Amino acid sequence: MTGQIARTLGASLRYEFRMQFRKRSVWIVPALTVGLFLLIGGSLLRDLFDPGEQPAEARTAVVALAVQLHALLSIGYGCLLADRLIRDDRLRVTPILDATPAPSGARLVGKYLGAGAATAVPILVVYFGLAAAYAVHAGAPHALGWALAACGVVIVPGLLFVAAFALVVPLTMPAPLFRVIFVGYWLWGNVVGPDMMPTLARTLIHPLGGYPLDALLDFHGIDGDDTWAGPVPGATLNFLRPDPTATTAWLSIAVLLLLAAAALAGGHVVRTRRA
Amino acid sequence: MRPMTLWRYEARRAGWTALLGPPVAVALGVAAALANPRPGDTTTARILLGALEMAVPLATGVACASLVGRDPAVELQLAVPTPYRVTLLRRMTVTLGWAAVVAGLTAAVLIATGWWERWPANHGPFAGQLTWAAPTIGLGAAGFAAGAVFRSPAAGGALVTTLWTIQEFFADLVQQHLPGRLLYLFATTRGAVPGDWTENRLALLGAAAAFVVLAYVVLARSERLIGEEDE
Amino acid sequence: MRIEISGLTKTYRGGVAALDGLDLVVPTGMFGLLGANGAGKTTLMRILAGLVRPTSGRVTVGEHDVSTAAGRTAVQRGLGYLPQDLGVYPDLTARQFLDYVALLKGMDGRTARRRRVGELLEVVALTGDADRRLRGFSGGMRQRVGIAQALLADPQLLIVDEPTAGLDPEERIRFRTLLAQFAGRRTVLLSTHIVDDIAQTCREVAVLSRGRLIFRGTVDELIDRARGRVWSVVTDGPPPAEGTVVSALPHEGGMRYRVVAPAAPGPQARPVEPGLEDGYLALPHGEPRPADGTGLPARPDGPPHPTSVDR
Repeated sequence: MTGQIARTLGASLRYEFRMQFRKRSVWIVPALTVGLFLLIGGSLLRDLFDPGEQPAEARTAVVALAVQLHALLSIGYGCLLADRLIRDDRLRVTPILDATPAPSGARLVGKYLGAGAATAVPILVVYFGLAAAYAVHAGAPHALGWALAACGVVIVPGLLFVAAFALVVPLTMPAPLFRVIFVGYWLWGNVVGPDMMPTLARTLIHPLGGYPLDALLDFHGIDGDDTWAGPVPGATLNFLRPDPTATTAWLSIAVLLLLAAAALAGGHVVRTRRA
Repeated sequence: MRPMTLWRYEARRAGWTALLGPPVAVALGVAAALANPRPGDTTTARILLGALEMAVPLATGVACASLVGRDPAVELQLAVPTPYRVTLLRRMTVTLGWAAVVAGLTAAVLIATGWWERWPANHGPFAGQLTWAAPTIGLGAAGFAAGAVFRSPAAGGALVTTLWTIQEFFADLVQQHLPGRLLYLFATTRGAVPGDWTENRLALLGAAAAFVVLAYVVLARSERLIGEEDE
Repeated sequence: MRIEISGLTKTYRGGVAALDGLDLVVPTGMFGLLGANGAGKTTLMRILAGLVRPTSGRVTVGEHDVSTAAGRTAVQRGLGYLPQDLGVYPDLTARQFLDYVALLKGMDGRTARRRRVGELLEVVALTGDADRRLRGFSGGMRQRVGIAQALLADPQLLIVDEPTAGLDPEERIRFRTLLAQFAGRRTVLLSTHIVDDIAQTCREVAVLSRGRLIFRGTVDELIDRARGRVWSVVTDGPPPAEGTVVSALPHEGGMRYRVVAPAAPGPQARPVEPGLEDGYLALPHGEPRPADGTGLPARPDGPPHPTSVDR
């Protein structure tokens, strides 16, 4: 049984990756996003290559880059994944797959990891490409190490969180409606100040990675003035905002991954009940 | 003028997002206004107008982006005397029309309850309707064009939401130069140069017209619309 | 409504030539189009229905040239089209779906439109299910809805692409009867790879292979192509190596094979009377130059040239 699950997971992951990797839009959407951002004068490149604007430390530069790209490109990421699970029903492939011995839970996880990874490739290409260019330009090879760290504790957990909900929530509502609500959530849950209204921004449930940014990467904005995590005087939901430490940073990552797993499990139950 | 029955069928084809999007957007905006822990009139008024200027266009833009590429009977549609691109325009009109009804009614309530004029940059009860109309039509047309070019609601929706998010996250940056200010969606509630408002609203409507023309031209090649899922 | 096709080529992106210099004339009445998957039948249907533009060549339907937008629209006004993959709107009832398609075909008058929808639901025996949503319909029921929508505007040209694939035998017979009754003074172009559908309904047939016409004539003439080339072989050994095995049935002492081959494939072979399927298989599919033995291409509007091989 374990062998069957592993084989199913492997096959599903491989093919879902290939199918998603080939889609033009998976590449065009991030490219247009970055292009549009640069067109309006976005500081992505200035913060890396302009001597007048570069931060003193390589760590700050590449982590700031991670934050900007993660904030911008995750929207398209979630939108592109929104129809990947319900697609099987639309293409009438589900009955064929359900009639194989391959466990449907393993297929779901394979689709999650495969399609999620494929959609993340362009984002990572942009990120590591720019980080590498910066490392060469600034003569700071250790910048790549920091880029890897930022990717591991900020970008990847955030994308895993987004991918899980993007796949399963459209089981319960039209995918376009999910896209609208997802954008609203991304704004509310990441950016809106906790002093303006009750929000999940700066809590442990922060897909933009506030706690790892603050406590693991010691990042406080490009000018060093921002706080990304922790309690806010007068805000509601402060019980979800412990002081940022290494422990609470890893806890935040674990919370995101647990919520992702719960979403996938919920989606699996919904599909199984409907079959 | 084609019969109302045809318009009713096309409204159905526009889908649940077109129907639910605008009311959900308004409801979330009202909820955000009510949840404001420091309810100054100006801030609350800004959030309420923001629901019309930000949330309704987002919902409508995504709905319009999903009009192309998911029609199960597209091959039949392409073989009837009614051109399919006209049918799609009809669906977009219905989507925009319903958003206009929801936004218009909400604006009427805000005007009647006095919240409209509590936001200093409100531009009055008549011209002020461009607060929601210009970005809704602009982003709706952009979504429609993206859908026509990519034939994928996922790609079209991703582009619309990205465009919206960039303008939301980087308001100051977008409005640094005149072209950006003219195409800024949220000039009423977050405008950097209030004097540019009228030109901004007209520019958005002009951009919408250009997007519709682009979509109309692209959709003329019916061959692109046939076949299995393109993506 | 006569269809005249001359030098028709359609090349898709990537250089795939779905149609390659096709010449064909389709007269009024029931006309069959046979060919393997990938032969170009669906591409031809779509060009005639105005969905796809030809790369080169000329196609006229009646007096309308389908290479112009005006011509295509004019053809579509008198067209009934049942595509190979019929998509419907599952949330609509059968009645609503037909009503909607009728509106798209320009039938704006409500009373006449509703009467016509009712008539066609009766014709395809779906009156009892007219107010059920299409998502609950079987494949056969959907096909009936499909033929009903094609007949809505009383078309002069009916194009049906693989209409009986997936239908049970009773549904197939009903379908064929419906089409044959409709034909009369109209043109019905029936595209299929089910040979029996052609045999039961069409007098004339064309065969496509790799985008080209390899036969055009009557059903009897196509059967004649296989005369003297169909054999029955009973053996307990492997199937005959020469020719094409059409069927294999268990038989006392082994298997009975029906084989299409130019000469007897073995000493046990007995000649049998050919059928339409045999005639189809006897054609030279896949040869670079479509020929009927004379070295000349098939005539687009008449029977093939007589050859010594046929006698």
